[in-house]
Amino acid sequence: MTAARVVVGAAVAAVLAYPLAASPYYATHMLMFFGYAIIVLGLNLLFGYTGLLSFGHSLFVALGAYAAAFLTSHFGVRSMELILVVAAVAGAAVAAPVGALCVRYARIYFAMLTLAFAMLFHSFLMKFYHVTGGDEGMRVLRPSLLGWDLAAVPKIQFLTVHYYYYASAVLLIAAVVMWRIVGSPFGLCLRSIRENPEKAASLGVSVARHRWAAFVISAAYAAVGGALLAPTTGQVDPSLAYWTHSGNMVFMTLLGGFSHFFGPALGALVFIHLQDQVMSLIPYWRLVFGAILAAIVIFAPGGLMSFVARSPGSAT
Amino acid sequence: MVADATNILLSGVFHAAILFLVAAGLQVVFGVQRIFNLACGSFYALGAYFGVSCVRWALDAGLPPGLFILPLIAGGLALAVVGPVVERLLRFVYDRDEAFQLLLTFAVVLMLEDVTRLVWGTSPVSTGGLYLIYGNVRLLGAQVPVYNLLVIGASLAIAVLIGFVLTRTRFGRIIRATAENREMSEAVGVDMRRVYTRVFTLGTVLGTLGGALVIPSTAAMSEMGVELIVEAFAVVVIGGLGSMRGAAAGALTVGVLRAIAIATYPELEMLLIYLIVIAVLVFRPRGLFGEAAA
Amino acid sequence: MSRDAAIVEAVGIRKLYGDVCALDGVSLAVREGEFVSVIGPNGAGKTTLINVLAGLLRPNAGTVRFKGRDIGGIGPVRLARLGMARSFQLVSIFPALTVLEMVQVAIVARLRRGRRLFAALAADREVREQALEVLALFGLADRAELPSRHLAQGDKKLLDVASAFALRPEVILLDEPTSGVSTRDKTAVMETLVAASKRIGIRAIIQVEHDMDIVFGYSDRIVALHQGRVLADAPPEVIRADEAVVAAVIGRPPEWRPT
Repeated sequence: MTAARVVVGAAVAAVLAYPLAASPYYATHMLMFFGYAIIVLGLNLLFGYTGLLSFGHSLFVALGAYAAAFLTSHFGVRSMELILVVAAVAGAAVAAPVGALCVRYARIYFAMLTLAFAMLFHSFLMKFYHVTGGDEGMRVLRPSLLGWDLAAVPKIQFLTVHYYYYASAVLLIAAVVMWRIVGSPFGLCLRSIRENPEKAASLGVSVARHRWAAFVISAAYAAVGGALLAPTTGQVDPSLAYWTHSGNMVFMTLLGGFSHFFGPALGALVFIHLQDQVMSLIPYWRLVFGAILAAIVIFAPGGLMSFVARSPGSAT
Repeated sequence: MVADATNILLSGVFHAAILFLVAAGLQVVFGVQRIFNLACGSFYALGAYFGVSCVRWALDAGLPPGLFILPLIAGGLALAVVGPVVERLLRFVYDRDEAFQLLLTFAVVLMLEDVTRLVWGTSPVSTGGLYLIYGNVRLLGAQVPVYNLLVIGASLAIAVLIGFVLTRTRFGRIIRATAENREMSEAVGVDMRRVYTRVFTLGTVLGTLGGALVIPSTAAMSEMGVELIVEAFAVVVIGGLGSMRGAAAGALTVGVLRAIAIATYPELEMLLIYLIVIAVLVFRPRGLFGEAAA
Repeated sequence: MSRDAAIVEAVGIRKLYGDVCALDGVSLAVREGEFVSVIGPNGAGKTTLINVLAGLLRPNAGTVRFKGRDIGGIGPVRLARLGMARSFQLVSIFPALTVLEMVQVAIVARLRRGRRLFAALAADREVREQALEVLALFGLADRAELPSRHLAQGDKKLLDVASAFALRPEVILLDEPTSGVSTRDKTAVMETLVAASKRIGIRAIIQVEHDMDIVFGYSDRIVALHQGRVLADAPPEVIRADEAVVAAVIGRPPEWRPT
């Protein structure tokens, strides 16, 4: 374990030192990483730990992002902390009924039902354009961080310094919370459900309720991630809710390795930077990434982490 | 009033005819191989784009415009070659968890999306008003393009053909046996590899044909593939996963309801479909004709 | 409850699968301290009976009572909470979880700690110690940190049963506890089971078993099922002398002798 702690410590240090060494272009990429890392942490609670594949988490990401847009543009709320809390609550609130329905269904139906809900939300965002701005989306105004109104700060500096450290702190907190969750008795029950739902039930574990709880928590994470992403581009649009966006997030999770706690975050990091590199060479990044996904699924389903660390089998 | 209703109904049935083809492709693959092919929409898109190209080549080569439907269908059928290629890829994950199978089909979706972009570019591609060459017909006061009726007829013919193949031919019996009991079929000596390849190719060509046939009335667009999967899912949920009759019933339901929604409350277009999907899953999870157990 | 009242009682159970009648008026009562074996040829309805007793299947007619309470179809989760546990015919484990973790699941569920999201499992001494105790009863404590899938097949079976025992149930349903276990080890497995039952304070054991030596060696009472009906329900000596049962179920007189 100590080796792992050293690695994690070094990674954290590297992340914190990054803006000092790297160009603003790459530093802003890290902002995407922070948001997506939180999202896939939540997604993996559902997939890696509970064994449920959701193609609908784009719904909650969009929900969080649009919450940020609404709060800043229409309600004059600038406090990022409030935005994050509202996003988490909104995510959980929508996930409660949606999850209650979806967890009653087995594998493929679950995946497709969550996909359908995401597309339902997408449809809603497109059609009710008076409220949501339709396919043009909405603007996200610059929030205040910890009470500081940073409107006067130039954009690049805001993003690469103030927001950078803020977002990394949010990720750190989210990661610590998730670490506690997966190491708890609740987390053990989730893993037992993943391994053998029938046996888990015979031991008195309420399978549906645990799955539902995992769904709601992962949705809250996705919404928080979405809200965190919103100010980086200053713009939200319905494509955030599209099912292929969900697919990409699952891709990130698989790429990094769903059997390890840090796998998905690694996957998000690699995905984002790789996508950028590939796009600068050819516009057809999907072709490359599709091939990569196929290769992972077929040859290395354990993801990148399976090359780095011996998989304990149980995501610990 | 009657004219409007007829218009709506027939446009709904036209859409249903196309949806049936794609859904049938999805159903036969799921029924036999237990794989839900997210790329069925991508095959559909591929068929659409390729269909346009075939028509253009044929017309440039001197084919009289009245016969454009021939290269269109030929194009749709020719894409059957894609089937074995994708199936070969899926073969790696037949014995794996469903999640991985689903993700592999998603990888195919990604790749095909860019393949169509690469070959045909990003702007919509169409055959223009070519299909109007068959003229219109007056039915109950509505002006209905003859082409649409041709497609409905073709889809019906294909449905009957599929029914015939499934019930009267050896291949059809093998499909039904494998769908019901894979191990038994293998034990009896059925060559699963060949069955899987053929079934997947059948599913592919139904999708590409659907895409080709829809083309004259719409344009081929890059989002076609990823858009259709949701409707296809609705069709199989309503009709019942794994059932051909379900594909037909589901397609009809979705097609007609969508047409009604578009004509009355456009905002509700897909909303209505989703609500029905949810209702079906809650009250009758196996759909109209599916096997029990969700 | 008086000592004679049944802990588990099935009265007139009928279970149909479509047109097929799997159980046709089966009645059975298990009292405090009894070890009851259910025997019968394949297709006699044994598995169906176990599933009805385990709350998985709701009978078409008749009632199943556990501690006087109707448990028809209440489902495995609620039944486990009421105090009845079961093991599975085909080994049913959590492959990626360690041996210790598998038993911990049962204890966490029993202590209702499955809701604790932020408490560290590793720090929960009570759960850990109870789990190790159960593992020790089954001789698996030395392999506590091993991933379950790495156990030998017979040990996996023991782990499956151990996790059910960790629920400290009052009644345990064992579905062919020695199936998949080599003949040499069967007695060892049964001795472990019986000893563990005593330690944990299990009040009654119901098992489905094919091995007649095991059945006759350990049962207080034997219930013979045939084509969905109870052919006989009596102590081993009576069963052995019952020609009808021998012909339909056993096939030949058992050679078992007490040691």
